[in-house]
Amino acid sequence: MSSIAEGRAARTDWRAILLRTLDVLSMPALAMLLGFLGGAIIIWITSGSIETIGAAYAGMINGAFFKQRGFSETLVAMTPYVFLGLGLAIGFKAGLFNIGVEGQFYIGAISAVWTGIAFPGLPAIIHLPLVILAGALGGAIWAGIPGFLKARTGAHEVITTMMMNYIAFRFAELVVSLPLRDPLSTAVQTLRVSPNAELWSLWQIPERLSDPLNALGVALFFALGAFVIARWRASFDPSTRSGQAFAQDARRRAVVGGIVLATGVIAFLALPPLVKIGWLFNDKYDRLHIGIILALAAAAAVWWLMYKTTLGFEMRTVGANPNAARYAGINISRNIILTMALSGALAGIAGTIEVLGVSICRCLPLFFSSGYGFDSIALALLAKNNPLGIVGGAFLWGAMRNGADLMELNSGVSKYIISLIQGLVLLFVAAPAVVRYLLRMRAPSQAEAEAPLTRGWG
Amino acid sequence: MRDLIGRKGARQIVSIVFIVTGAVLVYSLFDVIIGGKCDSKCVIGTLNQAIRYAAPVALAAYCGLMCERAAVINIGIEGMMLTAAMVGYGVNVYVFTWLKAGGMEPTLAGDVSRWGALALAVLSSGLMALLHGIVSIRFKADQIISGTVINILALGITGYFYRQYLAQNIPPGPGTFAPFDIPLLAQIPILGPIIFQGQKPIVYFMMAVTLLIHYTLFFTPWGLRTRAVGENPRAADTLGIDVLRVRYVNVLLGGALAGFAGAWFTLEAVDVFNPQMTNGLGFIGLAAMIFGNWSPFGALAGALIFGLGNTITTTISIFRPDIPSQIPQMLPYVLTILVLTGFVGRAIPPAADGQPYEKQ
Repeated sequence: MSSIAEGRAARTDWRAILLRTLDVLSMPALAMLLGFLGGAIIIWITSGSIETIGAAYAGMINGAFFKQRGFSETLVAMTPYVFLGLGLAIGFKAGLFNIGVEGQFYIGAISAVWTGIAFPGLPAIIHLPLVILAGALGGAIWAGIPGFLKARTGAHEVITTMMMNYIAFRFAELVVSLPLRDPLSTAVQTLRVSPNAELWSLWQIPERLSDPLNALGVALFFALGAFVIARWRASFDPSTRSGQAFAQDARRRAVVGGIVLATGVIAFLALPPLVKIGWLFNDKYDRLHIGIILALAAAAAVWWLMYKTTLGFEMRTVGANPNAARYAGINISRNIILTMALSGALAGIAGTIEVLGVSICRCLPLFFSSGYGFDSIALALLAKNNPLGIVGGAFLWGAMRNGADLMELNSGVSKYIISLIQGLVLLFVAAPAVVRYLLRMRAPSQAEAEAPLTRGWG
Repeated sequence: MRDLIGRKGARQIVSIVFIVTGAVLVYSLFDVIIGGKCDSKCVIGTLNQAIRYAAPVALAAYCGLMCERAAVINIGIEGMMLTAAMVGYGVNVYVFTWLKAGGMEPTLAGDVSRWGALALAVLSSGLMALLHGIVSIRFKADQIISGTVINILALGITGYFYRQYLAQNIPPGPGTFAPFDIPLLAQIPILGPIIFQGQKPIVYFMMAVTLLIHYTLFFTPWGLRTRAVGENPRAADTLGIDVLRVRYVNVLLGGALAGFAGAWFTLEAVDVFNPQMTNGLGFIGLAAMIFGNWSPFGALAGALIFGLGNTITTTISIFRPDIPSQIPQMLPYVLTILVLTGFVGRAIPPAADGQPYEKQ
């Protein structure tokens, strides 16, 4: 914390920041490069022609960015990756490997769909937060169980969360085929959620905002954002309850309150007419939805949690050195359960958003997810568990996933090549020494003092 | 020392009592659920099938055991198995077609391609293990992450080749191995029909390898070296044992065992491949290993519990179609979690487990 205070006081040294950023980015960038190179070699070997490599990668880039609605589909695919990557990162920071995000994703989706179906009459201002909360809660419980078992018995979370994955898959099949099954549909899928529980597509926003209740909800969201930012910029001194500092605090509080109120009121009054006048998103087949905004907000929230709160500090301490943490009086068991629950909550929200914002039937079909959870492991490690890095990495992952279909169509190279590339990227990220060996680079002058990411049994 | 052995012995007795009681309870419950339709022949058949289902889990557990006794954690077993299953299936089908086109007699071609497929499956899994070894032993990466690399790479590799070559227009293959009885041993009353009748080669291999690992691990110099490297690599190094070499050898042997486990799916169980077919059995193998306290017979017991659970769920879904099949399908995983939480903590991993070794 002190470094930030000093940084604010001193003149910002842009050159140093640039150099440091380049330094931090160099390893992930090399890993990506080598991953794609490895992918190219495999395409070359299996197809027998060099041209196929070009066709495949060109198709991927085309599909990810330049085809019709390509870019917004990339953002759609990126959204769950952000949440899942954040969930894994929280775990890694605390020394826990939540390999079960895929299962929590499913349970989040199930909880959201169930709440979405069960309360048909609710207005969106209540129903939408409720379904997201339900999804988060579902994921939190599903991850909290392995967390509890780890804290109480020491059962390693890699095995228990993996088992919870398979239970979740079967449970999802059960829910889809029995209690929530849509009896009128020929496909095996659940009923459609209430329209008020759907996540808004961006093109719907003018229409949605014409309902004053919805506008109020959006205004509250903006006010909350304003509150967080204002509260963060205005530092209070809680130690005094009197004197000059207290008076200054009171003034600041008033300013913060004013900003929050003003943001809310302006958003409530100005946004609906503004989006009516001019709105960039009018394509009704564009699936881009507000989930991406929630994802960015979540990334900011996780950064704040991990680096600006006591809880985050405790989590990182437990992750870096559990013995020191125990000695410092941190409750390790509580920390493990809480970390797992938070991690699962984020994964649950990812499932919620996928099912309420992306699935065309706005319902849970059989065979719903498709390995988002496993891809995210490589993503979180590529980003070194940094929330900003996760947003960037999620964009790359989303682009690859979205581009894969056109790639397969154009070049005949199976879209599973992207899992292979991501596996290779993970390999190079997990063992930077391999990259240095392959590229004949010298070891860094200072030893990489990285905390262990995971822990063994027992 | 004597005290330690005594405590260990007591713990083994407790474990055995626990398992027997559990088995009796499960059997009675099972009998009630299917309505008393299981006679003695059915019980023997169920146990026979339980051993069949236990084989891949036991082999996966032995893979974990081999690696971890030398202090290399391996959570990539699932990926190694998946790779082996894919390679086994692909080689079996395509080599058979090729041999038949070359004019070989079909039965002989079938045998050649099946055994060849088994060999290549084991080899492919061994290659994945080699990668795990290089990354975690030479480059000292986090071993759990390295295992995850194996798992994700395996998902990519098998998905890629499956979609490219094995999803459609597959030529007819020679099918899986044929079951056979072990001469003489099959004649033993009760035990014969349960253990030594009607199994396929990999299951018998699993039984033999259990004895082999127990013997080598506890009664040969190689086993002593392995355990020394797993418990105190520095001391082992001082005595002139090449720590890294022992680790490589163990990880490779473990990878080969995972290869047999993977080949079980496509060369013994069913004659198809799909990218989800290992279904977490590699991780269940790890749980069996922990349950068995890093010993071969203990791991076998864990695998048998799983095999029994799996068989029972299959039987339940046959006898009681009114119960949605997903509920019994969840049971093995629930069972694994219960067993793991009950036994971890009481089980003690090798002391140096998971730590890379830095030669000084």
